[in-house]
Amino acid sequence: MVALQGTRPFVSGYRPEFGYGPLQSSKLVFARFSVGNNAVKNLGLCRGGDVRLRSSRIIIKAMEESATFLTKDCSVISGKDLQMMLGNEKSTNIVWHKSSVDKIDRQELLQQKGCVIWITGLSGSGKSTLACALSRCLHSRGKLTYILDGDNVRHGLNRDLGFKAEDRAENIRRIGEVAKLFADAGVICIASLISPYRKDRDGCRALLPDGDFIEVFMDMPLQVCEARDPKGLYKFARAGKIKGFTGIDDPYEPPLNCEIVLKQKGDNCASPCNMAETVIRYLEEKGYLRA
Amino acid sequence: MNAVGIKPLPGFATLRDGYLPGNAKARSVLRITAADGLQQAVRVDVNGNGKAKLDTLKPNGSPLGSILANGFTSNGKNQSPLSRIGNSTNIKWHECSIDKIDRQNLLNQKGCVIWITGLSGSGKSTVACHLSKILTQMGKLTYILDGDNLRHGLNSDLSFKAEDRAENIRRVGEVAKLFSDAGVICIACLISPYRRDREACRKILPNGDFIEVFMDVPLGVCESRDPKGLYKLARAGKIKGFTGIDDPYEPPVNCEITLKCDNGIYASPSAMAEKVICYLEYNGYLQA
Repeated sequence: MVALQGTRPFVSGYRPEFGYGPLQSSKLVFARFSVGNNAVKNLGLCRGGDVRLRSSRIIIKAMEESATFLTKDCSVISGKDLQMMLGNEKSTNIVWHKSSVDKIDRQELLQQKGCVIWITGLSGSGKSTLACALSRCLHSRGKLTYILDGDNVRHGLNRDLGFKAEDRAENIRRIGEVAKLFADAGVICIASLISPYRKDRDGCRALLPDGDFIEVFMDMPLQVCEARDPKGLYKFARAGKIKGFTGIDDPYEPPLNCEIVLKQKGDNCASPCNMAETVIRYLEEKGYLRA
Repeated sequence: MNAVGIKPLPGFATLRDGYLPGNAKARSVLRITAADGLQQAVRVDVNGNGKAKLDTLKPNGSPLGSILANGFTSNGKNQSPLSRIGNSTNIKWHECSIDKIDRQNLLNQKGCVIWITGLSGSGKSTVACHLSKILTQMGKLTYILDGDNLRHGLNSDLSFKAEDRAENIRRVGEVAKLFSDAGVICIACLISPYRRDREACRKILPNGDFIEVFMDVPLGVCESRDPKGLYKLARAGKIKGFTGIDDPYEPPVNCEITLKCDNGIYASPSAMAEKVICYLEYNGYLQA
């Protein structure tokens, strides 16, 4: 991301619709600017979080086209260079961070925004079932999703990991990193894993831009999960044949501040489709189902 | 195993006496839970009478063997554990999630991995970038997995020791496989100097979906470009084990595409990208 700070709005004279003064929305919008006689550059506009905005000052984050953008390097461009670039007289303290417009292109192509829906809960709470239902419902709306299931990733990427504490943490970390790549690719990535420790889930949340990590807690009581016991694991755990099984002899730390909680109402559990619709409503409200 | 454009059954359905409900669709992939709790993924082939032949599937989607449920046999023998269910059955059908074919239909392309290998400075990232741009303009979804980017994220725990290099490639291969399964045209660009590691990645993908592209650029040319200044550091002995200088590069023996210079003239990155695109088009990857 390129942050430009200046003493006057740079956009004036190029794109009248942006007008003057601080931007109201903190969301990124894009505009194409002609830079002197050079090719068009894409500039994104957003409000900087840590700068006091005065009416004469806006922050522009500019994105350069680049395939490899994952860098925190920034270079400083002098006011004079910026002047040449934007044709303005005054500009100071400009710091450029490179980012990519490719993500925006992918969003346009898919007509959706990539994000990670992280479904957490006890074994048997219905995570995979919800993931499937969500995937089907979104597909029927023409949206691209991909499920990262704790079980199937352990057959491929994470097949070198066991169930010791550090391996479990590494399992979650790797899935978080992969989910981040999918979200960057524009895919609505649905991760469904027990992921019992808050620290590990929060670690994954921190990898993603604000809002793109949507934590869904399957809040089902242990007894309900155990009664279902879809894989027979609770039975083994009670018989002492599995050690460190979440819910039996290993803790599950419920989220304190997740985006969506899905729970039983009285004696009844909502159907997977209804639960999926709850998640989809959230996605719709937050704008993930459009470019 | 993949259902072709078939919508899965909504909710649950029961199988009675070996017959699927009347609205069962042909060639769906469904997960069933038998009465004894056994779960299996099955492909359902429904014939004109509504009778279903079920093929159990291995986790990777290939058929385990023609199996049977409940009165359906392929060769007169009842082999499937499902047959223990007997005649009455209350088998719960769980629909599987959307599969690769569905995603490919949505995207109008086929997922694959374009694995670009070559010396540092041979132009892998440059070609990847052009390829991605052109394909995006054509309305195709691509994603670049760059060796450097991944070492900042997923592979940030790995060093440059031999075993970590192999693990780096393995993980990139596994992630590329996931992207390909998602229907994305995944472009991996890494030096990936050892044949064995590249072949291992090829093996985990379905036939044809691993498209190896060799940037056949001589060391001298790469070194003269030296875009990251690494050859200079390597020559000065400040980097050890740098591919091309004091670590070998094993060129592919049988790759799908080789990009090289023609009589001393290098094609532009766009022209090189076009060559890859022709391959994709010819082999049907640019349509569902």
